[in-house]
Amino acid sequence: MGTLNAKFGKKLAKYGTFDFSACYNCGNCTAVCSLTDQEESFPRNMVRYSVLGLEDEIKSSLKPWLCYYCGDCSAYCPQEAFPGELMMSLRRWLTSRYDWTRLAGLFYRSVIWNIIAFLLIAAGVITYAFHVNFSLEHVMHVGHLFEIVAIAAVFAIILMPNIVRMWWFTIAKSGEKIPVKAYLISLRELFLHMFTQKRTLDCEKHTFRWLEHLILVIGYLTLLFTTVFLDWFSARNKIVIVFGYIVSGLVFIVTFHFVFNRIIKSKEVSRFSHHSDWFFVIWLFFMGITAFVVRLYIDINIIEDNLWLYLVHLIILVQWAVIIVPFGKWTHFLYRSFAMYFKKVLTSANQ
Amino acid sequence: MGKVTYDAIVVGGGIAGCEAALNIANNDFNVLLIEKDLSVGGKMILLSKVFPTLDCSACITTPKISEMARHPNITIFTGSELQKVSKYGDNLFEVSIVKNPRYVNIEDCTGCQLCEQACPVTVPDQYQLDMVGRKAAYIPFSIANPRVAAIDIDNCTLCGACEKVCPTKCIDFTQEKEEWIIHVKTVILATGFNLFNPEMIPRYGFGLYKNVVTSMQMERQLAPTRPFHTVLRPGDGKVPDRIAYILCTGSRDASVGNTMCSQICCMYSIKQAQLLMGALPMADVTIYYIDIRAFGKGFNEFYEQALGMGVNFVKGKIGKISEKKNGDLVLRYEDVCSGKLQEAEHDMVVLSVGVVANQDAQKYFTDLTLKKDRHHFVQQVDPLLNPSKTSIEGVFVAGSVSGPMDIPDSILSAGAASVEAINHIIQFS
Repeated sequence: MGTLNAKFGKKLAKYGTFDFSACYNCGNCTAVCSLTDQEESFPRNMVRYSVLGLEDEIKSSLKPWLCYYCGDCSAYCPQEAFPGELMMSLRRWLTSRYDWTRLAGLFYRSVIWNIIAFLLIAAGVITYAFHVNFSLEHVMHVGHLFEIVAIAAVFAIILMPNIVRMWWFTIAKSGEKIPVKAYLISLRELFLHMFTQKRTLDCEKHTFRWLEHLILVIGYLTLLFTTVFLDWFSARNKIVIVFGYIVSGLVFIVTFHFVFNRIIKSKEVSRFSHHSDWFFVIWLFFMGITAFVVRLYIDINIIEDNLWLYLVHLIILVQWAVIIVPFGKWTHFLYRSFAMYFKKVLTSANQ
Repeated sequence: MGKVTYDAIVVGGGIAGCEAALNIANNDFNVLLIEKDLSVGGKMILLSKVFPTLDCSACITTPKISEMARHPNITIFTGSELQKVSKYGDNLFEVSIVKNPRYVNIEDCTGCQLCEQACPVTVPDQYQLDMVGRKAAYIPFSIANPRVAAIDIDNCTLCGACEKVCPTKCIDFTQEKEEWIIHVKTVILATGFNLFNPEMIPRYGFGLYKNVVTSMQMERQLAPTRPFHTVLRPGDGKVPDRIAYILCTGSRDASVGNTMCSQICCMYSIKQAQLLMGALPMADVTIYYIDIRAFGKGFNEFYEQALGMGVNFVKGKIGKISEKKNGDLVLRYEDVCSGKLQEAEHDMVVLSVGVVANQDAQKYFTDLTLKKDRHHFVQQVDPLLNPSKTSIEGVFVAGSVSGPMDIPDSILSAGAASVEAINHIIQFS
């Protein structure tokens, strides 16, 4: 048993949750959830832990990541305790716990710090551009280099250690002996969920959302690949160029729809938006659209006179790579798939 | 048109209305009681037994109803609807009433049921909650009061078969709506409550799955005037072996707009469970609950008695129900005591539907303001010290028109309302 912490609710409020203490433990949320099963019953269990403030129990649980937020539990909650939104907030809180730098927590809790960081980055990029006398060739070259370095650095310094921390909290800390074989045979699960998010399909009525999300993930990853490894902005190969247009187009079209849903709040899942949700979808949208327009300007040969456009793209890109990817909502891409992987590891170890 | 001045009008002929009318009439005041249904007795007369004493409901309701119906100071209008109540002078109320035609002369009908046998039209019987049929010429139910025939004109084919067989020639198709204007000194509202409509929770499949019934339907199956000789599930007429109760269907549930505890469902479900164990000794009865609220005198003992009899109590609200091909039902819930998701199969599911406000009373007052509370019941302006008082002087509430309550509380409330009404009559006479 962990320590009770009555103030946990207050702490969690900054991560977006509502008054989940209204919960009267009827278990309706668990019973209406299409993803819950006898081994992993949630979300009431997480609501209970949150009411009691059992931080260690929550930290060692994979359950928040097993929820794919269809919103049924919130819609049918007799007490309007919004268990779905609590699960979302717990994912944000867990992200901040996994993060060894503690910056994720800072950015999740405060909009101001996000904005300060974004402004600093914008200032940095402009200063650099000024430093090289706004030479397009120079800026674009460094921009491309930055992409490669940032991916490697963010992954090695932040994301990898954080995943190790997640593994420590959820598996290793309990001291349970897990054979190496379990890790190996479960690997398939990791990549399956990372690239398909197929668990979303088990949520009722979520087929279209899954498809949209899948297109976004694939679009985003291929855009990354196209710009970084195929060097899209300098590419001369027609196929690469057209391919880049398609994937960047996909990214901004799908994210536009996501932003739109969040504005009109048509579904339970888009009813509540934390600032981290807004930053995530809007930046992704800007990334897609600026990349698209930059390449368009290159193709019609007016980029030389419109360096500002590339600068805007670069600023968005740096903010994305340095803030949102390591410390923001982007990480759910990794944590969700690793949670499925760890779950499989635990079940195969127990068999 | 009869006498047009009464000391008091009681709106609603359920157990609270009857009690209030009797109290006032016994003090030598004239009372008009109006009832929208064809029989007085309200919901109580349809029940099987009452908690926590397991007294036969019909046996204790009918003497009171008869006493009230034969009281020289009480006039009863059945099948009548109140249209409007307005102030008349300083201390009087003017009430307009529409008396719907029954197409049968109440005075002449002997209740011989020959018309029923002759009538060729069969429609669902609303007094048996649509579980069996009745004729278009019919006596509402065997212990109805007045126990006389009525013609269901909406379903009648006007074939005239009933007229031909009627020995007293009391069937009269020329009857028309009568409008009455009546002056009274005081008004008692006893319009009661409505049961929650479980179709608002599609996850429970009421109306879709045949073996999901409401507690009122089960109540009828257990009553002495029951539709069948035993308890049957509606889908295929099988005697059920595994019966589930889902408490808080439509109560304490913000997602359907009713956050209130209905106060009666725990106890009537426990009562029905006990009766079922008597009616079907081999059946398993499971009650799925959030909390058991056994707060009244003798209630907790009654709950423990059910536990002792082997009723299975499971803490956990049912999330959803699915139907199997053979009509059995699969209930999905979290067993809150173990924290695990569970699925259980039952032959029949009874939804313990809650109490919701009957908002008819507000419609009567267009010139005057009858305040309602946030649950749409009539507001008691002084709920602690003068619980029958409303926002209009001279208008009082009796029974569950002001909030969920059980039978003893309704009777107490009617007693309080009648005393207040008598005081009001004396003060302004």
